[in-house]
Amino acid sequence: MPASPQQRTTVDLKALSLQQLAEIKQQLDQEIEHLSESFQKLRQAQAKFEECIVTVKKTSDSANEGKDILVPLTSSLYIPGKTTEIDTFMVDVGTGYYVEKDSKSTILFFTNKVNTLKKNLIDLETVVQGKSQNLRAVEEILQEKMQANQANAPQ
Amino acid sequence: MSAPSTDLTQEKQRFELLSQEFENSQKDYSKFIAARQQLEAQLQENKIVQDEFALLKSDAKIYKLTGPVLLPQDKAEATLNVDKRLEFIRGEIKRAETQIADCQKSLESKREELLTLRMKIQGV
Repeated sequence: MPASPQQRTTVDLKALSLQQLAEIKQQLDQEIEHLSESFQKLRQAQAKFEECIVTVKKTSDSANEGKDILVPLTSSLYIPGKTTEIDTFMVDVGTGYYVEKDSKSTILFFTNKVNTLKKNLIDLETVVQGKSQNLRAVEEILQEKMQANQANAPQ
Repeated sequence: MSAPSTDLTQEKQRFELLSQEFENSQKDYSKFIAARQQLEAQLQENKIVQDEFALLKSDAKIYKLTGPVLLPQDKAEATLNVDKRLEFIRGEIKRAETQIADCQKSLESKREELLTLRMKIQGV
């Protein structure tokens, strides 16, 4: 599917007016900007999930069982406590639902998330590349047309 | 001499009125698009939850965040809830799509009308 519309636009481009080309360029610019933003956000999400995996691994270490901790009640008030059930985690699965999981399935859950994000990132990258290619083609023809216009002007 | 000029002012007034309408429709259009995007985000999030529930054992402990508390909920109920929500969102998406299509059509016809009107004004 991406190949045929691309070809069609390349054929069409030369027939378009300067103004139309400029509009297409602007649109492509916007799309690329939007997609790059999404790309950045996905990367951030991926980093967050990877951090979760590390945290789960660290906390579920059996050496942590029964250790003293300070539990924040407010940002300035803490009460002492002890860690128990070190292998049980509450995972936010989305839309307000939380599921209780042991460390193994928690890590699996986050690993799956990271993998999905990786796949999405690769897909997104190909889309951005395609758009950049289109943009370059439009820019080239835009420049050609402008030069042709300038050459014609003095006569 | 006076007849065509009043005609022209009338056309101009109509043109202005119409371009105002056109602008309003454009605003509506972007509003509908934003609503559609939000619905898509909700759909995806609920789908993720549905997939996650499908992987869970039937005795898995599920909690629903209601205000500041987590209420326990059994899996069957939670799954049903998410299924229902997905159904609702899909319905809403269909509604939003028809809204968008209608708005697009009205934008198109208004644009054409504006163009012919402008040609008429400039041609006189």
